[in-house]
Amino acid sequence: MKKSIVAVLLLFITLFATNAAASGHEQVAQQTHAIEHHAAVDSSEKAVAHDKGVWELLKSFYKTTGLYAFTTPQEGMVNGEGEPVNAFHQTWGRVIMIGITLLLFYLAIAKGFEPLLLLPIGFGGLLANIPFANMTADHGFLGVIYNAGIANEFFPLLIFMGVGAMTDFGPMLANPKTALLGGAAQFGIFGTLVGAAALSQFTPAFDFSLQDCAAISIIGGADGPTSIFIATKLAPDLLGAIAVAAYSYMALVPVIQPPIMKALTSKEERVIVMKQQRKVHKLEKLFLPLIVLGLSILLLPESTPLIGAFTFGNFAKESGVVDRLSDTMQNSLINIVTILLGLGVGSKLAAEKFLVGDTLGILILGLVAFAVGTAAGVLMAKLMNRLSSEPINPLIGAAGVSAVPMAARVVNKVGMEEKPGNILLMHAMGPNVAGVIGSAVAAGVLISIFN
Amino acid sequence: MENMVAESFKYMILGMGIVFAFLYIMVLVLQTQAKLIAKYFPEKPAGPAGGASTGVDKKKVAAVIAAIQHHKNLGK
Repeated sequence: MKKSIVAVLLLFITLFATNAAASGHEQVAQQTHAIEHHAAVDSSEKAVAHDKGVWELLKSFYKTTGLYAFTTPQEGMVNGEGEPVNAFHQTWGRVIMIGITLLLFYLAIAKGFEPLLLLPIGFGGLLANIPFANMTADHGFLGVIYNAGIANEFFPLLIFMGVGAMTDFGPMLANPKTALLGGAAQFGIFGTLVGAAALSQFTPAFDFSLQDCAAISIIGGADGPTSIFIATKLAPDLLGAIAVAAYSYMALVPVIQPPIMKALTSKEERVIVMKQQRKVHKLEKLFLPLIVLGLSILLLPESTPLIGAFTFGNFAKESGVVDRLSDTMQNSLINIVTILLGLGVGSKLAAEKFLVGDTLGILILGLVAFAVGTAAGVLMAKLMNRLSSEPINPLIGAAGVSAVPMAARVVNKVGMEEKPGNILLMHAMGPNVAGVIGSAVAAGVLISIFN
Repeated sequence: MENMVAESFKYMILGMGIVFAFLYIMVLVLQTQAKLIAKYFPEKPAGPAGGASTGVDKKKVAAVIAAIQHHKNLGK
């Protein structure tokens, strides 16, 4: 009995369902008919859009793919910031830039060149070159990061704070005279400023303004955060190229510096053994950041954002009572900011920003700046060796470019090659950390001139 | 535009002058500071010696613990 009731119910349900489906079909058919009719009468695009066959759907989907964007440039295309992007930058430009970012990955991963920065910068560059996604727009992933901390120069300062917390001024305090070597190396900045100005004045190939020249020449200071800080202030359009050039050359310190160091010194000079450093009192280290900040307040307030952040980090470290804060600055905070800084700078590696004639000029001038800085440091050290009663190995002058502690390590390595057992590392750390102060001062001078 | 090089040359002299002046004054102040601190706050030579003695203490403590442990084990 029950079974038959269930069967009847099932039958009814089936009938209803079929009926409903049929009427649905009918409705769809009617609609389609109406649209076809409408299309036949009007044939406007809007009406056709309602009636997409599978083929049309696929076609319109294809037009939203990267494949289409890479192969078919569009007229009047604008990037996230509303600037026009030409056909080359939309197609081959993007492909070339993606190739360049892959090269950065290779250098960072396989060669170990500044991986902490080249990897995020490279990935930011990769993301910036994705069509349609517009990640560099004001509300895009990279745009938000850029506006949050790079456009306003905030992230470089936080990095400087972390660098300050990591820096030990002991070697410089043990032999303060070596700090002058960190000043000589800044000749790389100002010498290149003149060189860049001459290039844009006398050759038609480059047309940099004086501000651009200043932003490019800062690469000679071999100080990443400072370069980014100055570039965003003086020439934001060149930021990507300047940052990539600066970090690439800093990564290439072991390749670029030794030939220059060897060319400018004699064998006798390279084997000079330096006097053992004296022990530095704890109070000297504690007062150093205050002295440096005090001097920059008196002489060059324009450089106090950089020096202020740097000395705060160092003071927190040397005070010895806020280890937790100092630890955060040295580790978690600087790591977070490094990620954001890298991605934000990478956003300037979009094809339309990077693949311009200026970039080549920046790469060349940056290399010159770096080489001149190294040479000036070595020559200054030679001079000091002549004048000073204590022997000074001229090699340590090369560490006057910041690039802490890589430049000092390179000095140590070259010294050991000439005379095994002659450890110059600590002697080179003096000019090295003085170079950080020196390039911050140089940056302050440039800002005070151009702002 | 014509005097861009001359302009940048002036910046170079100004810039290097300031960088050197800054660092030179810093060197002078640091040297003075080092002398003053050496005079008024001489480093106590006991510093490293104290460290060494705590090292010995630790060794002694370890030896005592080991001896007690050994004694207990023998007792079992």
